[in-house]
Parts: sequence; C-alpha cells; structure tokens
Amino acid sequence: MNEEDLIKRSAEERDKIFRRYERGREEGAEIDPWEDPSFEVYHATDRYGFIHDKRLSSKMDPQEAKRNQIELERVKKWLKMLKSWSSSVTKEKLHKRIYKGIPNSLRPQVWCKLLNLEKVKNENRGVYAEMNKLARLYSTDARQIDSDVNRQFREHIIYRERYGIKQQSLYNVLTAYAMYNSEVGYCQGMSGLAGVLLMYMDEEDAFWATHALLTDPKYMMHGLYKEGFPKLTRFLAHHDRILQKIMPKLKKHFDKHGLDSILYSLKWFFVCFVERVPFSLCLRIWDIYLLDGERVITAMAITILKLHKRNIIKLRDMDSIVHFIQVKLYKDFMYDDDTVIQTLEKTMDELKRSKLDHPGPPQKDEIPSRPFGILIQPSFEQIVGRRAEKFTDKEKNTNEIITLRSEEAKDAVEKENRESQLSVGDSGGLAGSKFSFDPSIDDASSLLDCQHTGSRRSLADTSVTSTADLSVFSTITRSQAHENSLDTHSNISENSVGAISSVGSGIVQSSSIQKQPLSAHSTPRATPHNPSPDVLRIYVPYSPLDTPIASPQNGDVRKSPPTSFPDGNKIRIRIDNDDFPTPLVEHGQIKHFRIENPDFDLK
Amino acid sequence: MANRTPAAQRPNGSTQGKICQFKLVLLGESAVGKSSLVLRFVKGQFHEYQESTIGAAFLTQTVCLDDTTVKFEIWDTAGQERYHSLAPMYYRGAQAAIVVYDITNQDTFGRAKTWVKELQRQANPNIVIALAGNKHDLMNKRMVEYEEAQAYAEENGLLFMETSAKTAMNVNDIFLAIAKKLPKNEQTAGPGGSGQGRRLVEGDTGAKTAGNCCK
Repeated sequence: MNEEDLIKRSAEERDKIFRRYERGREEGAEIDPWEDPSFEVYHATDRYGFIHDKRLSSKMDPQEAKRNQIELERVKKWLKMLKSWSSSVTKEKLHKRIYKGIPNSLRPQVWCKLLNLEKVKNENRGVYAEMNKLARLYSTDARQIDSDVNRQFREHIIYRERYGIKQQSLYNVLTAYAMYNSEVGYCQGMSGLAGVLLMYMDEEDAFWATHALLTDPKYMMHGLYKEGFPKLTRFLAHHDRILQKIMPKLKKHFDKHGLDSILYSLKWFFVCFVERVPFSLCLRIWDIYLLDGERVITAMAITILKLHKRNIIKLRDMDSIVHFIQVKLYKDFMYDDDTVIQTLEKTMDELKRSKLDHPGPPQKDEIPSRPFGILIQPSFEQIVGRRAEKFTDKEKNTNEIITLRSEEAKDAVEKENRESQLSVGDSGGLAGSKFSFDPSIDDASSLLDCQHTGSRRSLADTSVTSTADLSVFSTITRSQAHENSLDTHSNISENSVGAISSVGSGIVQSSSIQKQPLSAHSTPRATPHNPSPDVLRIYVPYSPLDTPIASPQNGDVRKSPPTSFPDGNKIRIRIDNDDFPTPLVEHGQIKHFRIENPDFDLK
Repeated sequence: MANRTPAAQRPNGSTQGKICQFKLVLLGESAVGKSSLVLRFVKGQFHEYQESTIGAAFLTQTVCLDDTTVKFEIWDTAGQERYHSLAPMYYRGAQAAIVVYDITNQDTFGRAKTWVKELQRQANPNIVIALAGNKHDLMNKRMVEYEEAQAYAEENGLLFMETSAKTAMNVNDIFLAIAKKLPKNEQTAGPGGSGQGRRLVEGDTGAKTAGNCCK
C-alpha cells in the first residue's frame, strides 16, 4: 500500500467513526454486544469464569478484598518458588503453601508441575496428535462424549458456546484419551475431570493430566472409571468403615433412612468434588489432591460429613439429606474455604494416626493391564453402539458387592429396631471429633479415642462430665417411666431433672449428671473413655436379690433382679435424638410406635 | 395398635386420605431426558443443559389421587452403559419404572426395549412400567413413530406417553397414570416396602405432603 492509499484509508476510517457518533444509537447502528452495558455476562461472571444468573456485586466485600491482597502477595513467593521447583527449599515449603491455596493465576503452571506433565509430554511426543487421528477414524465413544460435552460446564464462559474452542478441546481430549486408554475408554464423569483441567491448561497438557490422574499410583482413577468400578466399591467400603468408626450416629442415621453412601459420595470420588462444593473450594481440594493423592478424597468426604453432621442429623428423610449434601452444599458450603481446608488437614492427620487414611494398595483389577495407545479393533457391537443385554462377570461382581452393602445396612437397621432401646453397654452415639468450632455436637474424643467405641465404660465415667443436653431429659423421663411402670398410659411429667429424680428415687443413689457448658474448646477427660453426648449414665448400687425396682409414678413396686444388666449396677439410657420415639413395653420387649394420628392423645 | 386407622383424622376433623409411598426408577439411554423429566415433575423447571447424572440422583414428589396421596421416591439413574451394573440396586424393590427414550433417536428406543426386558426379567414381578417417548418438542426431527412405540407398549402391557420435559407436555400425566395403576390396598402396605407400596405412618410427614399437594 503506498502512502497515498494509506492516507486515504485513514481518512475513510476517521470519517466512518465520526459518522457513527453523529448518527448515535439510531436504527441500523452497528453495535457489537460486548460494547453495550447490557452485555450482562461481564457483570455476572465470577473470577473463575462461571456465569451467574444475577449480576454480581460490583463492590468487593472487605474479606474478599483482603483475600485477594493476600493472594497477590503469595503470587510473588510462588513465582520465586516456580523458578527453583526442584530445590529443597521448594520441597520444604510446598506442602504448607499448597494447603493455603495456589494463586489462581498460577494454577496452570503449578498443576502442570505437580503432575509432572513436561516430562511425560517430552517422552511421548506426537502421541496426542496420533490419538486424535485414531479417534477420528475409530472412536466408539463419540456419541456419548458429544452429549456430555454439550452439557459440561455450560455456565462457564469458555464452554458457553456450542462447538466453541474449549468445547472442541474437551471433545478432542476425551475422544483421544478413550483411544489411548482403551481399557477405560470414556466413562461419564471424565468430562468433568478434563473440563476442569482445560480451564487451566491447553489441550495436550489436559490430555496428559487426565492420563496422570487415571494411571499415576498416587491417583489411580483408572480403577474408578473402568467397567465394574472396582476402586469405587473398595473406597466406598472404606468410607463406610470410617463413618462407622468415627460418626456411628450419622452412619446409623443414614442407614435408618436407607441412604447408601454410594448415592452421595460417588460423584465426590469420580470427579473430586466438582459440582458438589463451591468451585473456589473445589479448586483448593484439587490443589491438595494433586499434591497428596487419593487419601485427600477419603479425608475430604469425611470432612464434609463432619462439618455438617449437625445439620444432616436434623434432616428426617433421604430426600432432604441428599438435597442438602448434593445441592445445598454446592451452592453454599457455609464455611469459608480456609476453615474447610484446615479441617481437612486435621482430618487427614487424624485418619493417618488411626491408620484409616488409606484403604490399602489397589486390587489387581484396578490397575491398567493393557498397553496404552494401542488400537484395539472395536467389536461390531461397539461400533454400532449396541448395548449388552447381559452383565459381564465384572459387572455381576460389582452388582453383588453393591447389593450386599445395602442389604447389610438394612439388616443393621432392622437389628437395631429389634433391640431394646435401653441397651446396655452400647456406645453407638459416640461421635469422635475434636474440631473446636463445633463443640455442641461432638465430645472431645479424637479419632484415636474412637477405638474405644463399643467398649463398656467403667464406673469412673459417671464422674466425668457429660455433654447430655438437658432438653432431652423429658424424653428420658418418658422412656424411663414406661420402662419402670410397664404402663403406657401413665402420666408423664414434662419437667426434666426433677422428674428424673422422682422416677429414680429409691434406686438412684448417686447419679452424676452434669451439663457441660458449651465452650469453644474441648474438655479434657479424666479417663480415656469418652462419654457420648446422648448417653446418660446412672450409678445404681443394688443388692442383687432383693432391691425393688420401683416405679413411683403409679406406686407399683416390682421385684425383679436386674439380670438383664450384666454390669449389674449401671443403667445406660440411650436417647435416640432422631425422632424421640416413645418406647412401649409389651411382653417384656420394648417396641416403638409412632403417632400416625395427630389427635391420638398420650394421656 | 389402636392408632393405625385407614384414614387418619386431621385435627380439624376432616378425613385425610391414606398416604402411599412408592419407589420409582427412571431408566434409559444417556441424554434422553431422564433427569429433565424428573426436574420438570418435581420442581417444574427445565434446564437446557441439564448436567449429566453421575451415578444416580434421588428426589421425591407427591401426587394426589382422590382420597390417596401418592408419594414417589424417584431414583434417577445414569444412562451410560458403564453405569448399567449399578442399575439393579435402583430398580430392586421398585414398584414403578419409567423407561425413557428420545423420539428423535431410534437407537434410544431400541435401548428402551432392552431395559423393559431386563425389568420384566429381574425386577419386582408386579412392577408398573411406563414408556416415555421424550423430546416431543423436537417433533420435526422424529425418528420413532408414535404408533410403533404404542404398539410395543400395548404388547408388553406398558403405560405409554410421548412427553416433553421442555414444554412440560404429559410429564405430570405420566406420573399420575402410574400412580393410578399402582395398587394401594391395605394388604399391600406391608412393612419394609419389599415390592409393595408402604403406608406412611409418620404423622408429620403425612401432614406435610398432604399440605403440599392437591393444589
């Protein structure tokens, strides 16, 4: 273009711009959507790229401003650390810094380092491109991947547009990976995994990152996604074991409402909490997961339940429990991210100390057995997408394991229902936690102490404080009255402590019931045993042959040696906080009834 | 026990019908609109990009039929073949199933038939099965003829409707039709819900559900 032309072009441009302004916003004015303030997406997009229904507040709340300031400060330290990644100083500081959160702007680099992608990429030059080509020719997962790309993170600015650049990337990574790791192929859930990675990485990095997550022994998600989900069943069993050990009351609550942990935790395990906790928290978990591996998932699952145990226990049906865990906590976790991560770290320590942090090495079938990147000729059924009508042996196996789990839980509930409410030596209510922020629902036991679960408590227990809530005493009175009088229509005093002593007068010689003040700190124990908050212990000395068990309410005096209490001089009353069922004594067995008719009068 | 009466008296003296609880499972190929049907039925909403169901989801909704309140415990399953091995856990003990296909995709209809077969073979023998031809709003892309599906449904004793989670067409209707077909007599209200509807005995839940429906 010669000078004359350039000058002419400038003049035209000037003229055009001026005319636009002269014309204003009249009809026909060419205004791109992004030029107008009505382009709401800018105002509704959060810092991670998610577009919200409502315009976000333009004012930053002071806490957020402070957090951002801290993050900016951290960026400097991280940049320095990235320069000397393999140094001993980095190794020393990495743990602490990652638990504080990787600055969002540096996640791309740090995640790649943590997954060691540079090395893998160098060793496998050209492989990704080759897999893309293979997929183009032979992929049998295209349809499923297509339908999932079409709905994965569509509220995120980079996945918003159909067939947009990142949708293309997501599709390419998943189809290519299904070729590379033919044993897994594509399993729903993987789009969430690769979807997050692609927010911070380019296509090829995301491909190798996906591979690392599936096959690096630290993560080994291969066993989660492959046919029959062998790793899932193993991790679920482990999750249930931990739950039973440290939050038996919650476990019982779940069992009672028929809630199998597979329902709420499958997505936790499969996509590492994506769409189950707020995204900012999810990223923090991912940071730690990439550093410390699969034990983070186990511990985080427990952490979520611990933090929200009190809320969950209050929910009376499976519907609301599931909604709370899956939907509500995604929208609002109710604890700030730092608190959650601190709790997670604590949980990890405690699980480790009690050797519950890891379910052990993977089973053989969880580990990849086929070489990667080798084209396996798909069967006719696979090509045409015909579905199997019968289960494979692996699937049958999974099916059996899963069925067995739920049946065991059901049996446990039924057994529980059959058993007397006045159980002796049962410490099912023992809940272990020493998180100081929520002392009201937990006593001061630690995970280690929980190993005492189920052990009979000594008399010494009666002298230590119990966190029994006085509000349950009226229920205690009620059940005790029924127990002693064998009379369902006895008058029931609503007054708590006084009523207890009147019920017990003559038999309770020395009872020690103290309400522990709610404090932010756990109370030191006199003994290693931990009285549970809802177990009331009453010390009852008696002469084995002749002590009358009295029911002062109706004046009846029954002579019956307390042979049903092996410990002789202890009565343990467990109050089921869940729904305060009223025990009814029939033929010497305690049954429960619930009030169906609201007008049914107890009196 | 004395407090077990067929129709619970409400405090104001009016007769509240009995409440029955049924387990219902949704099955069908991936992306045919299982979760969307549930979302429409339970919340009256529709999401253009309904996230894929990983594992399964659980929701409840009640419908009122004359003097009976039917509470559905709805199990929404993942459609991908890989998750098939978990399905028996969800249809085991189910009293009802909706097998969904996409009317714009012949393969999904074929897959629906295999689900029906599996249910007939493995599920509770008295299970009420409904076939839903979803995405009726995409009529102009139809690949499965209404008559074809209807004939199949008749042959197999299934309820059948074409539905649209997007426009809400026939969504409540299909659940209502199931509710009508489910047995609600006293004898079937055995404990434990094994194969039969359970009577709810929790007074508070009953009162709540009764208050929520019939509007």
